Amino acid sequence: MNMTDKSKNIVDNCRFCWMCRHVCPIGNATGLERNTARARAFGVSLVARGATELSELSDNIYECSLCGACTNNCVTGFDPKVFVREVKREIVLEGLAPAYITDLLMKHAESGNIYGAEVPGELGALACESADTVLFAGLDAWAKTPECVLSAMKLLSSSGRKVGLVTGDSGFALHFLTGETDESREAALACSKTLMAYKTVVVYDPCDLALMKHEWREWGIGTPECISFNEYLLSLVRSGALKVKKGNTEYMLQDSFAYARELDDCKSGRELIDSVGTVRDMLLIGKEANLAGHLVMAEYMPAVIEAVAKMRWRDAGNMGGENIVTECPQEYAALKATCPEGCRVLSVEEMLLENM
Amino acid sequence: MNDFLFTQILTELEDAVGRENCSVKEIDKATHSADFFWLSRMWVDRGRRMPEADFIVAPKNAEETSKVLKIANYYKIPVTAWGGGAGSQGGALPVCGGIILDTKRMNEIYEVNTEGMYIECGTGAIYKHIEWAANERGYATMHYPSSLTCSTVGGFLAHRGIGVVSTKYGKIDDMVLKMEVVLPNGDIINTSATPKHAAGPDLNQIFIGSEGTLGIITKAQIRIFEQPEERRFRGFLFRDMTSAFNASREVLQKFKPSVMRLYDEAETASLIKKIVGVAKPGAFMNVAYEGPRELVEVEEKILLSIFAKYGAEDLGSEYGEKWWREKITFFYPGHMMDIPQMFGTMDTIAPYDKIEKIYWAMKEAIETKYPFAKFIAHFSHWYEWGAMMYDRFIIDGEYVPKDPVEAMKLHNEIWTLGIRTALANGGVVNDHHGVGIKLGRMMKEQYGPAMQVFEALKKSLDPNGIMNPFKLGL
Repeated sequence: MNMTDKSKNIVDNCRFCWMCRHVCPIGNATGLERNTARARAFGVSLVARGATELSELSDNIYECSLCGACTNNCVTGFDPKVFVREVKREIVLEGLAPAYITDLLMKHAESGNIYGAEVPGELGALACESADTVLFAGLDAWAKTPECVLSAMKLLSSSGRKVGLVTGDSGFALHFLTGETDESREAALACSKTLMAYKTVVVYDPCDLALMKHEWREWGIGTPECISFNEYLLSLVRSGALKVKKGNTEYMLQDSFAYARELDDCKSGRELIDSVGTVRDMLLIGKEANLAGHLVMAEYMPAVIEAVAKMRWRDAGNMGGENIVTECPQEYAALKATCPEGCRVLSVEEMLLENM
Repeated sequence: MNDFLFTQILTELEDAVGRENCSVKEIDKATHSADFFWLSRMWVDRGRRMPEADFIVAPKNAEETSKVLKIANYYKIPVTAWGGGAGSQGGALPVCGGIILDTKRMNEIYEVNTEGMYIECGTGAIYKHIEWAANERGYATMHYPSSLTCSTVGGFLAHRGIGVVSTKYGKIDDMVLKMEVVLPNGDIINTSATPKHAAGPDLNQIFIGSEGTLGIITKAQIRIFEQPEERRFRGFLFRDMTSAFNASREVLQKFKPSVMRLYDEAETASLIKKIVGVAKPGAFMNVAYEGPRELVEVEEKILLSIFAKYGAEDLGSEYGEKWWREKITFFYPGHMMDIPQMFGTMDTIAPYDKIEKIYWAMKEAIETKYPFAKFIAHFSHWYEWGAMMYDRFIIDGEYVPKDPVEAMKLHNEIWTLGIRTALANGGVVNDHHGVGIKLGRMMKEQYGPAMQVFEALKKSLDPNGIMNPFKLGL
């Protein structure tokens, strides 16, 4: 099996270390021993020593959400995501991917995206090629939560700024499924070519933004001038362009792992809440954020993702939270689908809109 | 086992716990075949496969556990309970195959009762999760071992675990009010409503530490405590361990600190220097005391006065606070010993009149017979009458045989020598890691004819010998 020295080192250090077990959202939802960074590293170490076959690991590798909770928890700095991505790539290149993954890749080959989705007509109508600034809605956003993208555009238009909408695919889903492959890079390159035409790109989904800021740059793909949606909204609130009213509602932020851990931003969401209400926190916030949903994984392990979201609702309930505010489509969709009676899920833009 | 019988048993197990909770996948069997035990780690590191279970089964509650045990008893196949799998004694290893009963689906936190001061939970709950549940309501479990984040409630109960604030709050066997246990025949029992009574022997204490050989603990009520108003730390440097023992014994006649950790000179010069930053020669000791502020003030005065009398250098609070922040760091890769080194923790416990003698006897025995071995120790759980020694031998990779069989022989020889020396000088087989398969052979040496009490219990409760065979010397 091809693995970088960096991955080999991580595997050999993680294979007998259980210290991050408690923060794995998938392991906590399933209770399965194999859903730990330790078990994955252990399996890979067996393959590396010729004691088992790579094909035996395929399912387990795809049960990792790559949320990075384990990485964040490791006080000695080992990052299991690194070897998981490399092993995924090997699995795909060796033709060992499980059928449910192959199906998604086939859909991508046939339709241009893994969901086989088409851009909803109401979003297509919002495209504005003459704008300098555009909101980029990636695949997860336009395919799975188009209502949020519409709300985002409604909010932006109320600020008086001319902001167009661009829909596309940053390559996030392909990168998640296959690691660093030609297909991931090609998707990223096509997206980059579209976005480079604009002066400023407001990126709606932090998962897309993290990919642009990290992998796109590593791959030598041109990155436009980007700003996160949260940061852009904050600038509009601060400047008074968005006229929001502060009320008494308490909101709980579901920190996106991409904002918190990959973009080092644990503040913008809370500042946005603070502009219209009060922040009420639950367990595992900020850098320690616990995943609450995953759209790609929901395609092939929906019951587990549902359980992950329900566990987050339990965390919220323990602290008396009723209004969860999400920062990314992944968690919006999962929390919405599992919302208990009497509770609400709002995207950041929905929260601001109800306080205008 | 032939294919026909294998499939027959599999269908019955699937019927008991649900098909999705019963696995015969290679990844699941392999994942449940190695724990923190050095021998299992070495074995797989050398490209070997450890003995694996035939079935990995995850019941949701006592009822499903009962069904599994009835099936196992009928077919007379072994059942080994697996919680977090982070044990160091091989207690959860399915050395005879059969069924691994993974408890982690029994992870429900049923109740945080702030009136009765307990949490009721399934024993598959990760201990850190019940700590969070307590914290959310302003309380704490006060059970903080290094494996807090990776081990289950049942895992700690099974091997009699202990945490870093044990001197004040107690060991896991002090933390339990009542338990639900599934006996090997499938009967579900509850221990008494409270742990303190005169209604015969304490059933809790029969199953705590039994390592899954007498039944499966499926539910427990675990004590919670008020968060202390104040927790203070103080680091000290003693010129030798004798004065530290004398000082500590005197302190413990007056009050109970929460943390007391005394490091021998070798460990002070290695781990403590590296992680906490104490660079002077001597024996480092960290003490924490906590509770209402007024009491903490008084305890601090007593502590400083007694330690000064025994010549301890007061290092202030900085090192102790750093130690507290880093208390789990010691156990992460990069800080902890790892393969290719050979290592083991031979923790034991004894009264003050014996504990230091045991330390020197073990150090001499191991370092004399195996001059390439390093022996280090700290003392971290203290009582009015004695203390626990957390001693380790460490052998660098160049001295460890490459052949796994030879490495196993060396490993077991060192362990036998170390434990025999502890026993000969008044110690016990183990303090808080348990026995497992690693030390089963030493149990008869410790207990002598008293071992028949355990054997009778085993024979009576588990006549077919299906529960975790070859563990605990049973």
